[in-house]
Amino acid sequence: MVRVESPPTDREVPVVRVVLLPVVLLLGATAAGSALVAPAARIPVAVCGAIATLVVAVLTVALHRARRATRVQRAECEQRIAYLEHRILSHDAETVRLTKEVMPAAIRRLRVGNSPDEVMRDIVDADAANRHLPKALREQIHQVLEVIDNEEARRDSAQRAFVSVARRVQAIVHRQASELREMEDHYGRNPEVFDDLLRIDHGTALIGRLADSIAVLGGARPSRQWPKPVPLFSVLRGAMSRILEYQRVDLHSISKVAIVGTSVEPLIHACAELLDNATRYSPPQTRVHVTAVEVQTGIAIEIEDGGVSLSEEARARAENMLAQAQAGINMNDLGESPRLGMAVVGRLSRMYQLQVSLRQSAYGGVRAVLIVPREMITTGPAPGIAHGIGATSRPTSSLDMSQLQHVVPPPGKRKPKPAATGPVPSVAAPVPTGAPAAAARPAAPAAAMEDDVPVVTEWTENGLPQRRSRGRAPLGSHNLPQQPTPPPAAANGFQPGPGEGADGGRGEEKPPGLWLEAFTKAVNGVPQERKHGEDSDDAWDKGDLK
Amino acid sequence: MSGPRRERRKADPDLLDPERLYVITGDLDDSERAALDLVTMVVAQAEPSPTFQPEQAAILRLCQAPLSVAEISAYLGLPFSVVTSLLSDLLATELIESRAPIVRATLPDRSLLEAVMHGLQKL
Repeated sequence: MVRVESPPTDREVPVVRVVLLPVVLLLGATAAGSALVAPAARIPVAVCGAIATLVVAVLTVALHRARRATRVQRAECEQRIAYLEHRILSHDAETVRLTKEVMPAAIRRLRVGNSPDEVMRDIVDADAANRHLPKALREQIHQVLEVIDNEEARRDSAQRAFVSVARRVQAIVHRQASELREMEDHYGRNPEVFDDLLRIDHGTALIGRLADSIAVLGGARPSRQWPKPVPLFSVLRGAMSRILEYQRVDLHSISKVAIVGTSVEPLIHACAELLDNATRYSPPQTRVHVTAVEVQTGIAIEIEDGGVSLSEEARARAENMLAQAQAGINMNDLGESPRLGMAVVGRLSRMYQLQVSLRQSAYGGVRAVLIVPREMITTGPAPGIAHGIGATSRPTSSLDMSQLQHVVPPPGKRKPKPAATGPVPSVAAPVPTGAPAAAARPAAPAAAMEDDVPVVTEWTENGLPQRRSRGRAPLGSHNLPQQPTPPPAAANGFQPGPGEGADGGRGEEKPPGLWLEAFTKAVNGVPQERKHGEDSDDAWDKGDLK
Repeated sequence: MSGPRRERRKADPDLLDPERLYVITGDLDDSERAALDLVTMVVAQAEPSPTFQPEQAAILRLCQAPLSVAEISAYLGLPFSVVTSLLSDLLATELIESRAPIVRATLPDRSLLEAVMHGLQKL
């Protein structure tokens, strides 16, 4: 540029010099010519010479002018080019900045929930660096934002549709599950029907899990609510009941804690997906081992399978999938044959602060560790019915016991007998020996065999029991209330204090089967029956006091 | 027996357990149910240990004294078939002993029955 501008200034002067040389030469030639030719031709020659000189002078000047003009033009041209290059460079830089900084910022704001117009105002207008953007670029940004906004809206609505469909399926499955449970109770005595019901129940649970997965991937939280804490053991069995091959899962040393109600469903679901993975990707004859131990941060649930070893690469892929899911993937990324498991676990773990990691197991398979945070755990008693969990099934029985107790004669009358049975339960309940033994049994069985709990409530004149099917009171209850006061119980070791009446007996830890057995014993005792006279307690004493 | 329970179940479906019954019974296909009926008496032969399934542990605790299958079913709140399946496992490992009810035909001693009847009548 400097080079271009300098020439015109120092070429300005030489114009005269450039013209001078040809003019002087021509003048000299003319003068020489006119001197050499004959005097007659001298004048025309001089005139011609002068004209030629003039022409040459004019031409030279013109030529020079033209050259100078070209030079100036070129200089201008180069200047323009330089300017344009500069413009292009800065434009490029601007574009880069737009793509690298402005657009991402704008899109981020859009995702947060602002409308395209708001984003334009915040990002473009409010920023000094962006305010001077050309109109076309502003237009472009705006359009891009509009398109993204529309897409997001469409995707959102698609997801919502997914979720709402999933919710409906869940509702149906839930209702069907509770109806199936009713039917299972109802047909519990018919093994064929019952087994078929269980099979349907299992299938329903699998459908339910799929619906749950779709809902979770659609960004919703699990719908099912558990109002009360549920023991971890039940949670894990709940997870087992939602996978296909639950038979292969073994639960070992499950920590005795309960999970707070709100966290039960996500935990069940996450465990179910991990268990499903474990059973699905290991040979069918291997077992899957589950343990749950307490760690500093909460409870670590370990799910270990004996499947193919997880190569480092596969592990990386799986973890990557988890990480992606935790970052929030959408349904479109799942592909045609989606492997939902990890995506679901990732989603759930992000929503509920669970930590999941996959490692190689000592058995060669995969060990998935799920850390349940301490906030989800409660060590208090879990009131949620978990059937079978020892702690909860016992109270139920003791409750029933208290109902039964009033049927059973007060301890004083019956107690003597436990000396035979109570302390040594392992002796297979001193079984009725011989024929008399048999006498007692049928009475109870006969009652039990009836569907509607027939209860002996009254007696006919000729001494036969009359049954009423609807009574709540168990066998023979009406007979017992008017028991005379119990005789001093000092004799029997069971009774804690003499002052305790029927209440003491009730509070006592007494296995629920005892009363029936007592009855059995009572009748068995006949061989050495002692006639007590016509005491109304005769029948009881007969057996009990033997 | 089934009437009240059905009502109860209907009343609070939210209190359903997370685990389904088939998880408790275990594998359906290869389990052979022992011949148990509602009135079979069951006695535990061992103390429950922590390694047992909770239901089985509960059965062992309940059956310290002889108990009928129907009662076990009622106390555990589990259908009869589930209980028999659990009991079958326990029977197979000889942790419990079952006694079939005595058939009436083998019953004896009419005088004994009468004595009992008189005794009861006088109550």
